[in-house]
Amino acid sequence: MLFPDFVRFTYASLSAHRLRTVLTALGIAVGIAAVILLTSIGEGLHRFVIAEFTQFGTNIIGVAPGRIQTHGASLGAVNTVRPLTIDDAMALRHAPYVQVSDPLVQGNADVKYTGRSRRVTLYGVGPDFAHALKMRVASGEFLPQEDPRSARAFAVLGSKVARELYGGANPLGSRIRVGGERYRVIGVMQSKGQILGFDLDDTVFIPVARALEMFNRESLVEIHVVYDPTAPVAEVEAGIKRILVARHGAEDFTVTPQQKMLDVFGTVLNAITFAVAAIGGISLVVGGVGILTILTIAVAERTSEIGLLRALGATQRRILLLFLGEAALLAAVGGVAGLLLGWAIALALRLGLPALPVHTPWSYAVLAELVAVVVGLAAGVMPARRAASLDPLEALRSE
Amino acid sequence: MRIADLLKFAWQVVRGYRTRTLLILLAMGIGVAAVVAVTSLGEGARLYIVNQFGSLGTNLVIVLPGRSETAGAMPGVLVGKTPRDLTLDDALALKRSHAVRHIAPLVIGAADVHVGARVRETPVLGSTAELVDIRSMEVALGRFLPEADPRQILPVCVIGAKVAAELFGAKPALGEWLRIGDRRFRVIGIMARQGESLGFNTDEIVIVPLAAAQALFNTEALFRVLVEAKSREQTLYAKADVEEFIRLRHEGERDVTVITQDAVLATFDRILRALTLAVAGIAAISLAVAGILIMNVMLIAVTQRRQEIGLLKALGATGAQIRAAFLTEAVLLSSGGAAVGLAVGQLVRYAAVQLYPAIPFQAPWWALLAAPATAVITAVLFTLAPARRAARLDPVQALSRR
Repeated sequence: MLFPDFVRFTYASLSAHRLRTVLTALGIAVGIAAVILLTSIGEGLHRFVIAEFTQFGTNIIGVAPGRIQTHGASLGAVNTVRPLTIDDAMALRHAPYVQVSDPLVQGNADVKYTGRSRRVTLYGVGPDFAHALKMRVASGEFLPQEDPRSARAFAVLGSKVARELYGGANPLGSRIRVGGERYRVIGVMQSKGQILGFDLDDTVFIPVARALEMFNRESLVEIHVVYDPTAPVAEVEAGIKRILVARHGAEDFTVTPQQKMLDVFGTVLNAITFAVAAIGGISLVVGGVGILTILTIAVAERTSEIGLLRALGATQRRILLLFLGEAALLAAVGGVAGLLLGWAIALALRLGLPALPVHTPWSYAVLAELVAVVVGLAAGVMPARRAASLDPLEALRSE
Repeated sequence: MRIADLLKFAWQVVRGYRTRTLLILLAMGIGVAAVVAVTSLGEGARLYIVNQFGSLGTNLVIVLPGRSETAGAMPGVLVGKTPRDLTLDDALALKRSHAVRHIAPLVIGAADVHVGARVRETPVLGSTAELVDIRSMEVALGRFLPEADPRQILPVCVIGAKVAAELFGAKPALGEWLRIGDRRFRVIGIMARQGESLGFNTDEIVIVPLAAAQALFNTEALFRVLVEAKSREQTLYAKADVEEFIRLRHEGERDVTVITQDAVLATFDRILRALTLAVAGIAAISLAVAGILIMNVMLIAVTQRRQEIGLLKALGATGAQIRAAFLTEAVLLSSGGAAVGLAVGQLVRYAAVQLYPAIPFQAPWWALLAAPATAVITAVLFTLAPARRAARLDPVQALSRR
């Protein structure tokens, strides 16, 4: 049988029972649409999280006191007998490839301005913090470059704090009370919005040494190290460790490159996406059972036709291929329909719920179509073998 | 036709096309099994977390230093200190509330623990004797921290089972001395193995008296105060009292966050229930696919059984009766599939329980009802069109072969 004949024959047998073909393909289509939609949402979420993190830059390494990690946070950041100090942060500027090293201490304090008060997240930081985390100042300036150990009492407000405390007035140059101490406002940050449930606009930044004093603690919560983006991360990490071990006598700190955190997030999100897609894929299996059922019925119906083909010299292999081809074509048509359906729903979701990140990569579409064809072929094996093994004489006589 | 006749008729058809019946059972079974299995996994995870939370203690109210104005922020995000510490005196003042039974102030941090030449960085927890009453913790050997004035620095500690094994090896640890930071402590108790509970592993911690931890970490500030209310009804009063007492002690400043165990638990419960429902919904898509398959097969059956239907109609069967015959067949097939699915789903659950005995996997009652019900309803809905087509057949034409 020539290839064009093969195609024509398969097409004819599918178009002879149009409703049946449509329904069978629909089964596969629903399965594929479910898988595509779920993976699209998973992938969209993944990209969303990565974008949230990379807006602070990717060439950041965090150094935290202590080596015990719980819930992704360092326990040493709460209390530790081996503190990380501002001097440690300053020493890290001399590590190879390091561009910026900025100390950070975090706490919760109330801010008062002419009778209004608000509890905010207070960050004690060095002058390079805004630069390190790619945060911009909306008006005024960030903390000035001066010795972080004896910095002047300046404060920079997050956009939400400025709005809540000052309304429309200009906060620059005014004096506020942070945790009972007086500070002069020298800048207001641009809005950053919420990052994973954490509001970055409800914050006030003050010099790190003053924050340590205010909270009566010795240790920083973290040191942010920004390195040359072209440098090998492993070497930067090794450089940081070498300097801190020399200063502390032991490795009593945790070094976490941003990239590693992103990788962990990526792994978790991929696992979830895969699991959910697999649950959606159950529909695909049921669709496969549908193809199996319909082809089994078709083989029974077309026994005499198969007998005739065999009598005319078609080999067993040829019959097998015919039915397999039919199964694959059914699944492929269903797959394409499913892709279109999935895309349409994804598009509708994007229009209806702009907050839900949805993204369908091309590779997923191609993969889904391949999976559909494989499911079709797998479902076609049993009926096709039954058709191929029919005895031509018996088959012809069956009518 | 009587119901018994209908059933018998449908039963003959179902038995007659054995392969077809098996395949439909398979399709429906996969769908129902998927829903049952997935919901039992979700429900298992939910019950596991709820139990874990319960094992933290009962009627707990937790006091955290610091407060955030932004609504909806997770309380756990609040780390770091406040200008005005939450102090031991604040914690002790809470005992004056009528609704409070026990309080346990906590100071936590990381420190090096030395035994001879062995060093290990471990979480160190400073607390009082009442901690053991609040959290259901068990001491395997020796005793817990003694009841004493919490302001007194006693050089004693209670260590986790894993810490004991790693620092002392096979030697008995009880009564030995160890060094934490620059202070010496005598081991007076070893905790029973409890394993991980919500990221807090009691096997790997060292518990010292509160004042000792405060000295060790050079801080007055408490990390948390655990408060146990006298009863479940009293938790809300306890919460209100805690907020009011600390506000008064802090000169009118509201600088702590007070959360109740019930509120946190309810949030988790809601999230996990919603997740289970969503995943069950995704699995239920396969039931719709199975429905499409039933419709397809029924349509084929109508064509194949033209003559039979024609004969039935010629013998006086009404359209309604023909419809009923097809619908009965659909119900038989789908309930068979649902039964198979329920059985397979339970098998999966059983296997999961064997693999992870700690997690109480069980399908929620609504899933056990909804999955078979959805299967049967979909099957009936998708059979309506083929059944109507069969009922509309003209007996004369149907009998006169094509």
